[in-house]
Amino acid sequence: MATETADDVLSVHDLKSYFFSREGTLRAIDGLSFNLKAGKVLGIAGESGCGKSVTAQSILRILPRHGKTVSGQVLLTRDGKVTDLLALGEESSEIRRIRGKEIAMIFQEPMTSFSPVHTIGDQIIETIRLHRGLSKAQARASAIEILESVGMPHPSRTIDEYPFNLSGGMRQRAMIAMALSCNPRVLIADEPTTAVDVTIQAQVLELIRQMQAQLGMAVIMITHDLGVIAELADHVLIMYLGRGVEFGSVEQIFHNPKHPYTRGLLASIPKLQKGHTLVEPIKGAVPNPYDAPAGCPFHPRCPQFMQGTCEVTMPQVVEVEPGHWVACHLYGGEDQR
Amino acid sequence: MLDFLMRRMLLMIPTLFIVSGISFFVIQAPPGDFVTAHVQRLEDRGQIVDREAIEAMRARYGLDQPAHVQYVRWIRSMFRGDLGMSFDWGAPVSRVIARRIPNSLIISLFSFLFVYAVAIPIGMLSATRQYSVADYFFTFVAFVGLGIPNFLFALVMLWVVYSMTGQVLIGLFSAEYVDAAWSWARFMDMLRHVWIPAIIVGTAGTAKIVRVMRASLLDELQKPYVMVARAKGLSRSHVNYKYPFRIAINPVVSTIGWTLPSLITGEMLVSLVLGLPTLAPIFLRALQMQDMYLAGGIVFVLTLLTLLGTLISDILLGWIDPRIRFSSM
Ligand SMILES: Nc1ncnc2c1ncn2[C@@H]1O[C@H](COP(=O)(O)OP(=O)(O)O)[C@@H](O)[C@H]1O
Ligand code: SF4
Ligand SMILES: [Mg+2]
Repeated sequence: MATETADDVLSVHDLKSYFFSREGTLRAIDGLSFNLKAGKVLGIAGESGCGKSVTAQSILRILPRHGKTVSGQVLLTRDGKVTDLLALGEESSEIRRIRGKEIAMIFQEPMTSFSPVHTIGDQIIETIRLHRGLSKAQARASAIEILESVGMPHPSRTIDEYPFNLSGGMRQRAMIAMALSCNPRVLIADEPTTAVDVTIQAQVLELIRQMQAQLGMAVIMITHDLGVIAELADHVLIMYLGRGVEFGSVEQIFHNPKHPYTRGLLASIPKLQKGHTLVEPIKGAVPNPYDAPAGCPFHPRCPQFMQGTCEVTMPQVVEVEPGHWVACHLYGGEDQR
Repeated sequence: MLDFLMRRMLLMIPTLFIVSGISFFVIQAPPGDFVTAHVQRLEDRGQIVDREAIEAMRARYGLDQPAHVQYVRWIRSMFRGDLGMSFDWGAPVSRVIARRIPNSLIISLFSFLFVYAVAIPIGMLSATRQYSVADYFFTFVAFVGLGIPNFLFALVMLWVVYSMTGQVLIGLFSAEYVDAAWSWARFMDMLRHVWIPAIIVGTAGTAKIVRVMRASLLDELQKPYVMVARAKGLSRSHVNYKYPFRIAINPVVSTIGWTLPSLITGEMLVSLVLGLPTLAPIFLRALQMQDMYLAGGIVFVLTLLTLLGTLISDILLGWIDPRIRFSSM
């Protein structure tokens, strides 16, 4: 989805990542493409289980052992030089120099994302020393500085705290500090506000927005909450069952949604109407990913389902207006597979 | 943490007295006493013992007093560090125990080292290569190790070594060192003998610790912090070594508390089968002879060792795991 341009920092082509188990093959990502522009924020949204986290893990090549990226390209552009991350070995020193340095990640669970028996400082300093070749003392000073910049109270003291001694909000700040410690080109934030208190959520988002503006990095903001996307993103990718179904600018997605799934997601955001909240959830549930439906994967739940077409062929991705891409038979385009 | 340790050490004192008290009365429970058993033995050899001599003997040992009086006397002398006299050996209990206890400790120590030195790497291997051939192999071996009773294993080992080398591996020393004083040569000679009882005693424990290590590490390997550490750019082996291994070891350390007593009882059984000069044979004899101060003293010392082992495992655990160090407990 989306045409490649020179200012892309990351572009993903036809990515496929599967999990193999006794129950069979789970096609978690099945032909996903998108581009991320340097210095911009791309929001990725979709219901839980649609493959957002697996996308992030595939880019960094840190899938669990039973998961494999079976095909595709993940192109990282650095100063005009393009590297296909999928062509690198999973444990190669090249990919390890990119992880944490060029592409850093913030995880959902700030409590379990830190080792419980090491201080947060230990874990941040480790990253800094790994990529920036600083001495212990320099790395520590740098870590304190970063903790300060993410608004950690008393950074020179909290740096020696164990994760269980910090509040959820402080842990997420420490997580963000760790991700930003090596000035990454790309920051992937996988549901950074899902596990923290509602009151902290706004602070964390504001912090990410601020740091993004300050450091000029590109951000992939993964969330199941379209409200977060509306607030932060420049572009939006809507995912369903391991595929992209719609891609466009924030204005295009929110004011001119094309895909019935995107429309469904937007309709299911609670909004105040005549004094009471109105929610229209998408009917049905996400199908079992072990056997995705034939044709358009959304067809069993789609209100605009067209008999004879939708359950037979996979819709092709078409550009409905400049920079706005949709995979749906309503907008023409037959396909493939 | 310090608080916790102080409390634990204070608790050890009543525990020691309760355990030794119970064992004292259990040892006392069978009808008769040491004098009865002693006279019986003399009469079996055809000697006539007159009643007055018997009563004089009872009075000398304090056996004419009721059991609780004897107990109080025993406990009181224990506070002075005196474990009493062994009737049977005609020597202070402390001296009888002191002569044997190094051997017991050495076997237990070596089987302890064997258990952890073998179990931890195997557990790690099994977890990081889950469902591999090596994992299945060691799982199988571990179950066999758990299933074989120590005494049977000891007999099998005796037979195997005998049929292979023609040597009967009884004892802890070669003939020339049995009664020799401790020296470097005697120590080396013991090392040549100690591995067999150490392995026999340690096998079941090893199997258990392999299971603990494997389960605990499998649990840690799938924790989010492992993926986070990989996302920072650390290599898989570095990540494993620094994070999950380090955390998975905690439940293993906490097993030290229950491994020690089982090693000590295991050592006793194996020593009887292999005829090793440890506490086990004299403990058995003390029970048979109703040599109650000796038997009670041995129970006391073993309880003390067990409690110390548990304490050491708690200290280690607090030292390596900040979550314990920081919680008040
Ligand atoms: N470690 C894993 N093992 C097996 N299946 C997984 C694993 N992680 C994710 N999946 C499966 O991959 C699909 C996508 O999951 P995920 O990317 O986590 O969804 P989300 O969009 O909620 O982040 C789901 O069907 C999920 O069950
Ligand atoms: S292709 Fe058909 S089923 Fe799929 S979203 Fe479009 S209209 Fe609905
Ligand atoms: Mg997720």
